[in-house]
Amino acid sequence: MKKLVISLLAASALVTLAACGGSDSGSGDSGSTEKVTLKFQSLAFQKTTVAATKKIVADWNAANPNIQVEYVQGSWDSVHDQLVTQFQGSTAPDVIQDESADITGFANQGYLADLSQYLSQETKDAVSQGVWDTVTVDGKVVAAPTLLQSYVVFGNSALLKAAGVATTGDSLSWDDLQANAKKLTSAGKYGLGWGLKSPTATVLNLGMNFDGAFFEGSGRDAKAKIGDAELEVPKRIHAMAYTDKSIDPTSLTQSGSDVLPGFFGGKYAMIVGGNYAAQQIVEQAPKGFQWEVLPPLKGTSEKQAANPQTLSVPAEGKHVKQAAQFIDYFMKADNLATVGQGDWLIPTTKAARDAIEKATGGKNGWTQTLASGEELTKAPFQSVENYPKWKDQIATPALQEFLANKIDLAGLGKKLSDGWGQVNS
Amino acid sequence: MRTRPAARAAQYVAVICYLIFLGFPLLWLISSSLKSPREFASITPSILPKHPDLSNYTDALREQGLVHSMWNSLQISVASTVLVLIVSLPVAYALARFRSRLRPITNGWILVSQVFPVILIVIPLFMILRPLHLTNTIPGVVIVYMVWSMPFALWMLQGYVAAVPRELEEAASVDGASRVRTIVSIVMPLLRPGLIATAMFTFISAWNEFFFALVLLQDPQLKTLPLVLARFVGAEGQVQFGPLAAASVLATVPSLVFFAFLQRRLTSGLLSGAVKG
Repeated sequence: MKKLVISLLAASALVTLAACGGSDSGSGDSGSTEKVTLKFQSLAFQKTTVAATKKIVADWNAANPNIQVEYVQGSWDSVHDQLVTQFQGSTAPDVIQDESADITGFANQGYLADLSQYLSQETKDAVSQGVWDTVTVDGKVVAAPTLLQSYVVFGNSALLKAAGVATTGDSLSWDDLQANAKKLTSAGKYGLGWGLKSPTATVLNLGMNFDGAFFEGSGRDAKAKIGDAELEVPKRIHAMAYTDKSIDPTSLTQSGSDVLPGFFGGKYAMIVGGNYAAQQIVEQAPKGFQWEVLPPLKGTSEKQAANPQTLSVPAEGKHVKQAAQFIDYFMKADNLATVGQGDWLIPTTKAARDAIEKATGGKNGWTQTLASGEELTKAPFQSVENYPKWKDQIATPALQEFLANKIDLAGLGKKLSDGWGQVNS
Repeated sequence: MRTRPAARAAQYVAVICYLIFLGFPLLWLISSSLKSPREFASITPSILPKHPDLSNYTDALREQGLVHSMWNSLQISVASTVLVLIVSLPVAYALARFRSRLRPITNGWILVSQVFPVILIVIPLFMILRPLHLTNTIPGVVIVYMVWSMPFALWMLQGYVAAVPRELEEAASVDGASRVRTIVSIVMPLLRPGLIATAMFTFISAWNEFFFALVLLQDPQLKTLPLVLARFVGAEGQVQFGPLAAASVLATVPSLVFFAFLQRRLTSGLLSGAVKG
């Protein structure tokens, strides 16, 4: 019993000690002479990008002794839940990496600082307005957009060549994609494998090829708009899977990376996926496997939704100005080019894209990948408050049913439209 | 009655099949940890790696501070387990032995507390811990894990206490032992299997817990093992399978050692309980 009492006292002492420890540091927006330390939560994932990001931080720290940046490794998988709590508790890092679709919600709640007064004119001019729009909420620039991804078509060069499929030109029309897939389908092998286990993002992003908007208005007042333009992409995928039979229907239930073994093994002559998959192709493809990125897909245009990775600063941050200065430095062409090349993502600035083109010589599909980033712009769904709910509860299951051939196109349209009323009521 | 050779052989085959079934995930994990990225992307995956190497282990250990995070997890898990046992035991004893109208209410509340989703309580919890300066500290996480594990630990221990015959305590009382002496000398030894089972449950809950640690710990030096494992998963379903498998193999080692150590005592505890009962 004596031991029990001693243990309990020890536990109490531990808690008391912890309660006494720790303290907040700094106050207000410091002047330039005060030495501050900023926490930068980076979500860099690939080894090369982690190294590149750490180098940017080290270079900054060497040049700015009064504004030191501490690198903190975060994870894409959990950043949203982490930020929800950290914003509530005012303990978010000074510089936050996330994607624009996710931070819009935080910005609407007033958690993010307006960076427009702190970012340099050079940075502002380097990014297209369509991309700035993705990080502008109520007229405030709540983040700096850094890297983008697009959906591209990867091809097995040997199979494409054998079938006489042309892979040059400025763009690849959806009709040509379908015709090529048909031509490449034979003897149990499919022209196209498409990992559409989570189809909503792909369908909405590529839907912009046909001016598919899906929503009118913004915030909670947005209305669902599901017409022919919005249903064009799912209609074409369905036709290739069940009419032409040029898409392997089983691939539609797999994730984007699940279809890679089939691509490497020659089961699929082409796959469609995020351009970052090139990283896995380079690492995992069998020796001698020849592949390429086809020109950007085009419907009535090559537009796709831009959902850039972003860097932002908490509105309640103690050193907003200094954090924004670091972000401005991060946006320099050389810096963005190194992290973009490492993650196989498209920098938001033209200068950084040019730097990657120069560094890679356009090989490994970089020319086409960079070209596919030219027309990325804000999509209507990015301004819709309950979009994440609609995506998870309505759109994803409805599209999965449609792609599994369980409901028809009209049924899909009805579910997408009626479902918005349910989740936005 | 002697078992026929054929029946015995069938029993062995069944046991071996069952062991393979149980061990397959671990075998697959170890095999994956020794494969190269190219083998992962093979259209015909093999159970055993064709060209095994340890580069995934070196990557996992070098890049993410795996060993340090394991040490953090170990401290937190052991502290949570010890404190949960210390606090739960007297409460479980009281709940099991003293009849009161509060008992069914308390038990009901214990069960109800298990149905709350983590996301529901994490923000209020965070708001409580922050003014106490317990966020971003190991003691803060230990307290949270205690609170999180305690209801189920109480539920488990209560059952074990109830299974100890009252007659033994009455006999001790007749012999002049005080209640404290009775608990320490009579009840505790018989409860050892229950304490060990509860310790295992609490340890493994804390060892694997992700969400509270994610929210409460920001300092890179305080990150626990599950947080570090999550870093092998990138955006859009990208996963570094090899290093993740290697890190997962390494992550299972401390819990396997802990279990091997406690399981022996669990068995001896059961036997000693049987003799005394």
